[in-house]
Amino acid sequence: MMPDMTQHGKAETQQWQPVANTPVVMFDRVSKTYGRINALSGVSIGISGGVTGILGMNGAGKSTLFKLMMGKIKPSSGAIRLFGTDPWKNPAPYSRVGFVPEHEKMYDWMTALDFITTFARLHGMTRDEATKEATRVLSFVSLDEVMHKRIGQFSKGMRQRVKIAHALVNDPELIVLDEPLQGCDPLARTTIMNVIKQLGAMGRTVLVSSHILHEIERITEQIVILHRGRVLALGNSHAIREMLDQHPHKILLDCSNPRILAKSIIDLDEVTGISFVNPEKLLIETRHLGAIHQKLPQIIVDSGQTVTGIDNPDDDLQSILMYLTGGVA
Amino acid sequence: MSSRMDSIWSKLDRKSTAIAEFTMRQYRTRISTWVVMGASVLAIFLMLLFYIEAMNSEIEAIDNDGDSFDTDGDGYPDGQERLEGTNPNSEESFPSWVEPDPPEKWINEDDIEWENLASGENYVGQDDDGDCLNQDTSSQRDSNDNNIDCDIIVTVDTINGTIDVESDNNVDEDPDEDKYGKEAGHRAFILGIGKFGIVFLLGIFLPLFLATGLIREEMTEGTIHYMLAKPIARGEVLLYRMLGYLGITWPFIIGLCFILSIITGFTGPGDGIFRWADIGVWMAIAWAAMMVSLVYGTIFCGFGIIWKNGVILAIIFAAWELGMVFVTILGGGDSSIRYFSVVGWGMIIVDAGTAMCWPDNWQLIEMGLWGGGNVVEENWLGATEYAALPGAQPLQTFSGNSGLGVSEWIAFVISTMVLLFQGIIAWFIGQAIFKGKEVD
Repeated sequence: MMPDMTQHGKAETQQWQPVANTPVVMFDRVSKTYGRINALSGVSIGISGGVTGILGMNGAGKSTLFKLMMGKIKPSSGAIRLFGTDPWKNPAPYSRVGFVPEHEKMYDWMTALDFITTFARLHGMTRDEATKEATRVLSFVSLDEVMHKRIGQFSKGMRQRVKIAHALVNDPELIVLDEPLQGCDPLARTTIMNVIKQLGAMGRTVLVSSHILHEIERITEQIVILHRGRVLALGNSHAIREMLDQHPHKILLDCSNPRILAKSIIDLDEVTGISFVNPEKLLIETRHLGAIHQKLPQIIVDSGQTVTGIDNPDDDLQSILMYLTGGVA
Repeated sequence: MSSRMDSIWSKLDRKSTAIAEFTMRQYRTRISTWVVMGASVLAIFLMLLFYIEAMNSEIEAIDNDGDSFDTDGDGYPDGQERLEGTNPNSEESFPSWVEPDPPEKWINEDDIEWENLASGENYVGQDDDGDCLNQDTSSQRDSNDNNIDCDIIVTVDTINGTIDVESDNNVDEDPDEDKYGKEAGHRAFILGIGKFGIVFLLGIFLPLFLATGLIREEMTEGTIHYMLAKPIARGEVLLYRMLGYLGITWPFIIGLCFILSIITGFTGPGDGIFRWADIGVWMAIAWAAMMVSLVYGTIFCGFGIIWKNGVILAIIFAAWELGMVFVTILGGGDSSIRYFSVVGWGMIIVDAGTAMCWPDNWQLIEMGLWGGGNVVEENWLGATEYAALPGAQPLQTFSGNSGLGVSEWIAFVISTMVLLFQGIIAWFIGQAIFKGKEVD
C-alpha cells in the first residue's frame, strides 16, 4: 500500500501515457490546510484495484481527500497522482474516473435518463451513445423501470443510485463514492453495497467513504482509517474487527416490555451487563458485538416481543479510534 | 490530420451542445427566468402604451405666422388676402373674385422638407402660401442673397452632422406640427426605448439575474461537481454555460424587438401601411442588446465566480454603466468617456443603424429645431433661438453619432468588434479565475 515515489506522470499533457505499475491513486505526503485548520496532514497512500473503504468520523478529512483527488482543491503541499497525472487544473484523467459527490442536491427537474445522458455527453459521447450507455448503467443499479421519472420524485436511496449510475456511464477504471450510503433505507443500502461489491469484483478500483464501520465491513476488507487529517490505520477489516471486539460495546433496544427480553439476553455468555434506560429501552453491554448481532434476532423472535429499533449508541468507529489513539479521540 | 480535426470538433461539439442544451433547459425550469422576462415584457409594453396613445392623438396645429386670422374682419383670412394681393388690414380691401377660405386652411399651410440633403449648400423650400412671393421688393423676396427668390439655403456639414438653415422671409414658416411631431415622436420613441429600455435596461437586467449565478449557483448547491468531475476544462464549462445563457437571452431579445417592430411599424406615421425602414433600426437595437448582454453576462458570471455575493459587484458595475448611458445620451456624440464602457459601444451600434436606415434623421432633427424660423427670443449670447417643432428635441436627445469620424458601416463593425473583444477578455479572465478556484 505504500506509494511508489519513483513514478511520475506528466502534469500538463492532455494525453497522458499510462505508466505501467503506477497506482491508480497516489498521495505522496499530501497536506491541505484551510487557514489554521489542517484538513489533511502528510497523507501518503497508493491504491490500485478492488474496493477500499475510507473510514473516518465527520471532519476526519475524507471529503478533502476526495476533493483533492478530483482536482477541486489544490494541495497545500505534497503530490497527488491520478493514473500518474496531477489532477489539479488538468481534467484529462477524469475520462477514466467516476465520481459520486456527497452533496444531496441534484437536478430534480431532470429524468434519471436525461441526467445521465447529458453528463455522459461530457465524456465526448454522441447523443445516441450516451442514451445507450445511460440505459445500461441504470439497469445496472436496477433503476431501468423508473428511468423516465423525474429525479425529484425519487427516494433518497434511488437518488444515490442515480448518482452512482451517472458515475459509471463512462465505464471508469476508478470509482470514487463519497458517503454513498448516507441517509439510505436498509433496502437501498443493500442494493448499493451489492453494486459496489460487484464493481470491485469486476476489477475496478473503488473508493468508498463512510463514517460507519460495519457498513464498510459489509463491502470490503480493505480499509483506510482517517482521523484528524492523518492516516491512522491501513489494513484488513478482520484485524480491525479483532481490535473492536476487545472493547466494550453497547446495543440499545426499543421494545414494549424490555424486562421479558432481558431475561433471555442476560444468559448469553457475550453479554457483560444490561440496564434499563427507561421503561421502553434496554441497554446491552458486550465485548462481542458481532456475536450478539447474530444471536439477537432469534432471541427477539423467541421472546415474542416487538422490537421497534436496534441502535449502537456507542459508535463503533468512535471506540476503535479511542483504542487506536490511546484515548485522545 | 483532417480526420483528427473532425474527431476533435465532434467531441467538442458533443460537450458544448450537451452543456449549452442543459443550461437552457435549466433556465426554462426556473421561475426566476420567467419572472425576469415577464417583467421586462410588461415594462416595455407599458411604455408602448404611451407611444400608441401619442400616435393616436392629434398634435395641436399652431398658426406660426398668424395668417389664419382675419385682422380686418372682412371674412377673408390674412393669408388668403396676402396671396390674392389685397390689404389684410383694410376692411375695404378683399379679394371679391374668390370665395373666402376657411381659417383652418391657413394654419399649417407652408410645410418644411427634411428629405436627404447633399453635403454642402442646398437650395430648397417652397413658398406654398405665397406670402414671400407677394412681397414688393426683390431684396425682401431674396433676403438670403442667393439670387433665388423665396427659397432656403441649407448648408449641410456631413462631417460634423450639422445644418445651417438660412431662409428667405416667410418661406416654410408654418409647418404641420402634427405631421412633423408624429414622425419625430415615433423615431424618438424607437430610439429611446431601444437605447435605454432594450440595450441598457434589458441588456443589463437579463445578465444580472440570469448570468451572475450561472456558475455560482452550481457552486453553492454543490451540483457543479457533476460537471467538474468530467474530462472537460473549466474554461470550457464557462464558455458552454455562456452559450446556454445566450441561447435563452438572444432569442428573447430578438423576439421582443421583432414584436415591437411589427407594432410600431403599423402604428407609426407614414404614407405606406408599414414602415419598412424601421426594421433596420430595430435590427440594430436587437444586435446592440445582444452584444451588450453577451459582455455583461460574461462579466457578471465572472463576478459570480470570484465572490459568492458577486451580484453586489455586478450592481456596482451597473451603476457605472448607468452613468455612461446618461453621458452617452445627453452628451450626443461628444463624450469620449463612454468608450470606457460597454453600453457606450452598444449605443454606437444603434446610432450607426439609425444613420443607415434613416439617413434623413439628423436633417429631420435640425429642420425641426429650426421649425420654420419662428424666432422665440435671443439668448444671452445674442444668438437667435427658434421655436422647435414638437418631437424635435426628444429625437435629438435620443439620436447620436459614433463620434468616431468614420462611416456608419465602419462604426457598426468597429463597435461590434470592440464588444466582442470585451466579451472575450471577460471570458478569458473569468476562466482563469475559475481554473484557480477551489470548489468545495
